[in-house]
Amino acid sequence: MKRTLDTGNAAITEGAIIAGCRLFAGYPITPATEIAENMSRRLPQVGGYYLQAEDELAALHICVGASLGGLKAMTATSGPGYILYADPYGWAIGSEIPVVIVNAQRVGPVSGITGAPGQGEFYLSRYPTQGGNFETIVLAPNSVQEAFTLTVEAFYLAERFRTPVTLLADQLVTDGWETLIIPETEEEIQAMGLKVIPRRINEGPEFYPATDEIDIPPVVLGHNTGAACSDWTPTAEGYDTEEVEWQHKHAYRLIYKIRNHKDLITRYESYFLEDDPEVILVSYGSPSRVVKSAVKAAREKGLKVGGLRLISLWPFPDEIFTKTAKYLSVELNYDGQLVREVQRAMPKGSEVHFMGKCGELPTVAELMELIEALIKGQPLKAKPWEMEAW
Amino acid sequence: MDYLATKYLRPRKIPSTACSGCGLGQIHKKVVKAIDELGLDVGDVVWGTGIGCAGRQTFATWKGDNFAGTHGRVYALATGLRIALPPNKKIILTVGDGDAFGIGFNHLLNCARRNVDLTVIVCDNLGYMSTGGQYGWTTPEGYRTDSSPYGMWEPNWMQGGRDVLNILREAGATFLARHTSIEGQEAVESIKKAILNKGFSLVHMPYPCVTNFAERALGSRRPAVMYKWFKERTVKLNERVDEKALGDIYFRTGIYYDASNSRPEFAEALRNRVAEIQRRFR
Ligand SMILES: Cc1ncc(C[n+]2csc(CCOP(=O)(O)OP(=O)(O)O)c2C)c(N)n1
Ligand code: SF4
Ligand SMILES: [Mg+2]
Repeated sequence: MKRTLDTGNAAITEGAIIAGCRLFAGYPITPATEIAENMSRRLPQVGGYYLQAEDELAALHICVGASLGGLKAMTATSGPGYILYADPYGWAIGSEIPVVIVNAQRVGPVSGITGAPGQGEFYLSRYPTQGGNFETIVLAPNSVQEAFTLTVEAFYLAERFRTPVTLLADQLVTDGWETLIIPETEEEIQAMGLKVIPRRINEGPEFYPATDEIDIPPVVLGHNTGAACSDWTPTAEGYDTEEVEWQHKHAYRLIYKIRNHKDLITRYESYFLEDDPEVILVSYGSPSRVVKSAVKAAREKGLKVGGLRLISLWPFPDEIFTKTAKYLSVELNYDGQLVREVQRAMPKGSEVHFMGKCGELPTVAELMELIEALIKGQPLKAKPWEMEAW
Repeated sequence: MDYLATKYLRPRKIPSTACSGCGLGQIHKKVVKAIDELGLDVGDVVWGTGIGCAGRQTFATWKGDNFAGTHGRVYALATGLRIALPPNKKIILTVGDGDAFGIGFNHLLNCARRNVDLTVIVCDNLGYMSTGGQYGWTTPEGYRTDSSPYGMWEPNWMQGGRDVLNILREAGATFLARHTSIEGQEAVESIKKAILNKGFSLVHMPYPCVTNFAERALGSRRPAVMYKWFKERTVKLNERVDEKALGDIYFRTGIYYDASNSRPEFAEALRNRVAEIQRRFR
């Protein structure tokens, strides 16, 4: 094992390389530029290709094209670039091409504040393209080390489900410096619980079978398999069709290959839930670090408080919301995105409250104030980041 | 089915779903003929398309491997694919004028700049035809379409001293030709050269759209009317023409620019560079 002090950007780079990524195409944007820079240095050393694209539409298209030719590929961006991915993202979902997409979330909308953390793309990562009729896979690290392991995981899931996977990070995770442990041998990779699978090739003639099964190799061009892949609704062989029956089969596959194997995707962390706490804080990404400290501090004061940290965001892990409690969703946005899903997933008799910040983390003191108020049943004081009665 | 179709195309997609009288089939056939005359096999070519009539009518007609990109983006997709594929595989794209010279122009120019080994056949029906017939960036000045009911007034890429092929040449393309679909073997020869160039090649091929363009612009869907219009406007590069007498758009055909294999191909240069850096780090 190699133990270093490094950034989330470096962790993502090394994770991708261990996962077998051999092409990166990107476009400069704070705070994801460093991933591109790291890739431009590291990829050639391992026989991989770095490209700077003319825009993000091209960046993801180049990645998808490379994947279509059999190379594992990744791109990285932030909000303004992530929105431009919409077109190739949809192509890769529909044609079922594995690719990994990193979004180092910053403050929005549009350019917003460039070098500060935000969490505004929770829903966009669920619906990163138009048309509906699909599910997406989204993972969210909260540390440098987890940025590494989840990048490896993202490639693994992308191959098995043959679909794009978004690593939804934030500026504090990607720019932050922490200890990073990198495995150096096959044994060490396995010992860390990391899984890597090589690209397989679909030999046809059924490239788009109407099934929810996973582990079907994707289309890889250049092997004269007679593959056909496009943006149109495909028949099993990949011919473009306007038959509604095929559209139904295709949509079924895109939705249920993911929904019916959700157990392979869902990851979360829970703490202090055993004694049915009155208040449960829900978070993901960098705010979850403060949330954990606040929950511990509350416990030390004898308050019955627990925490749920989402590691996989989509498909949303409804099933982990088993406790009837007052939920407090802590997010890096003021509009409340996660809070809506919590409201939908929580058991009857629960409440959901929201604490939003953006560009900076909440403090333990701010969270403690809210926890105490919720436990006492007091209304939350009106602050800019508060929205009561969801 | 004729010899070419039997050898290279899928029975399922023949006959084509294009309108009867459409010139697209003439282009399609010329590309397949060029492939055949070069002695290439089904497995030697990966065929890509864009959106629109040009895209949809040629997609998955090839017996080998096929792909179709979203509108205007197939050039970027093909750039990634070019890097991943062995250098001896040919990538041929049949795309529309709106796809290449409109929505996808930025990507197209960047492919030319990089000199990515692609053969792009722009099937130009003088506008956006699969959407019903709106003007595009090669629609001749003054001609009527559904979205230029008073005549095309915007400057296009073809007239007023502009030629889209000049822009592509400046951008770095290494083979450029123009032929109308009604031309014969000379067009096939140009396509062959385009395929043989290890670099970015583009053949601009204006063709008659009888259903939408001709109907609005010439007031007739009769193929004879549209073919006559094309015939009068197909002028060899070195042929003298009285431009004033014609007073209208005309298509100068032939090889515009042949710098085949004169500068490094992008994917190959990238591979070489990576190999060199890798050697240093071993
Ligand atoms: C992003 C996007 N915008 C618009 C369309 C609608 N559209 C489908 S085909 C087409 C016409 C394309 O024109 P051209 O490339 O010249 O092809 P033609 O149909 O004329 O052969 C358009 C605009 C689309 N599919 N995608
Ligand atoms: S609309 Fe025009 S270009 Fe399209 S298939 Fe019909 S004739 Fe051909
Ligand atoms: Mg057109």
